[in-house]
Amino acid sequence: MIEFKHVNKWFGKLHVLDDVNLEIDKGEVLVICGPSGSGKSTLIRCINRLEPIQEGEIVVDGVPVHDKATNLTKLRADIGFVFQQFHLYPHMTVLQNVMLAPVNVRKIPSDKAEEIAREKLIQVGLTDKAGAYPAQLSGGQQQRVAIARGLAMSPKIMLFDEPTSALDPEMIGEVLDVMVNLVSEGMTMCVVTHEMGFARKVADRVLFMDMGKIVETGKPDEFFDNPQTHRAADFISKILTH
Amino acid sequence: MMAFYFSRLVEIFPFFLKGLWMTSQIAFISLATCTVLGFVLGILRSGKNKLIRWIIGVYVSFVRGTPFVVQVFIVFFILPEWGIQLKAFQAALLAMAIMGSAFICEIVAGGINAIPKGQWEAGTASGLSLVQQLRLVIVPQAMKVILPPLVGQYVLLIKDTSVVSVIGVMELTRVGWVTVVRIPEGLMVFSLVGILYFVISYPLILLSNYLERRMAV
Repeated sequence: MIEFKHVNKWFGKLHVLDDVNLEIDKGEVLVICGPSGSGKSTLIRCINRLEPIQEGEIVVDGVPVHDKATNLTKLRADIGFVFQQFHLYPHMTVLQNVMLAPVNVRKIPSDKAEEIAREKLIQVGLTDKAGAYPAQLSGGQQQRVAIARGLAMSPKIMLFDEPTSALDPEMIGEVLDVMVNLVSEGMTMCVVTHEMGFARKVADRVLFMDMGKIVETGKPDEFFDNPQTHRAADFISKILTH
Repeated sequence: MMAFYFSRLVEIFPFFLKGLWMTSQIAFISLATCTVLGFVLGILRSGKNKLIRWIIGVYVSFVRGTPFVVQVFIVFFILPEWGIQLKAFQAALLAMAIMGSAFICEIVAGGINAIPKGQWEAGTASGLSLVQQLRLVIVPQAMKVILPPLVGQYVLLIKDTSVVSVIGVMELTRVGWVTVVRIPEGLMVFSLVGILYFVISYPLILLSNYLERRMAV
């Protein structure tokens, strides 16, 4: 479904992605972790070319994302992206946020789009907030709206960039619950997160990054209980002590 | 004596109304043109293309760095050199459009740049085209930042239409000039001119104040 071949990317002199090779299958749930600045967010932002790469190939669902000539509008519509800071549209209600892309990108008539949007809001547990504005919601609620916004496009892939890092601890659970439900529906997912509980419960594979390199990959239990590299072991001990 | 002048003034009041009508025409047409041009330039100025940004930057700096009266003369005198004959009215509109769009461009670019990058990214990620992102996501939010100074700029532009009197357009200020030649009661004549400008500007000043208060919330 998603394939990285010898991908290199630099921010100025900083080598943020260093010869990344990766394959993600349809229906797979991949958790990416690693210290801050390791390139994990950049990695998933490259999948729909929110960030361009300088070298290598990225092919997503048969579309060559690395090729500057590729028009990505269609592919992006098929990939849901959930940001750390939600990035809901503050001038629109929750319902309008969720309906915007279906109406304007998919050209779904607005009554049908509203139906879909309400369905997705039920799915994330926010039936009574359709008419509210983002600023009236808690962080956890905003992030769930953001997930509903992604799902309303019936995506083939959902990408999550630290979806719970900006949330107060008591709200993390409600967002993770929604994500766990998605996994049970067979969604292909890439999740940048340090939520070990989530990774253990639903991830097919954990990928550990450091300094722009994929250092280690493995089944979650193997990775967390018995990391093969020093750096991974060091990282796991740090997130465990907090 | 005063009464005599006053009755003369009443006599030529229709002349003032004609001037006011001309001023309103110039103001209305040039504000509309400036707004459209200013938004296009402002959006381009906030865009990614460095060359376009630079060119617009030079244009804006030139307009801001030279007096409007000089710009009016340049437009009025330079185009005939190239074989383009403009009537004073057309030259006035062109000069207003050039000047006004530069200022509005800066206001619009400022408003767009105030919108967090994440809003663009959210739009991009959901498959919206660049134009859709601007129309549906960015500009509606930027309007909150743009509107109060934009209306303030409108007031300045309306007052600046008085400058085109220098090339003989028979607008309100020009009417004042012509009138004082016949009625040497300058204070009265130009008070009337002032009042007529104020009548058009004041509603916009009130609107600008109102928007500033509302948008600040």
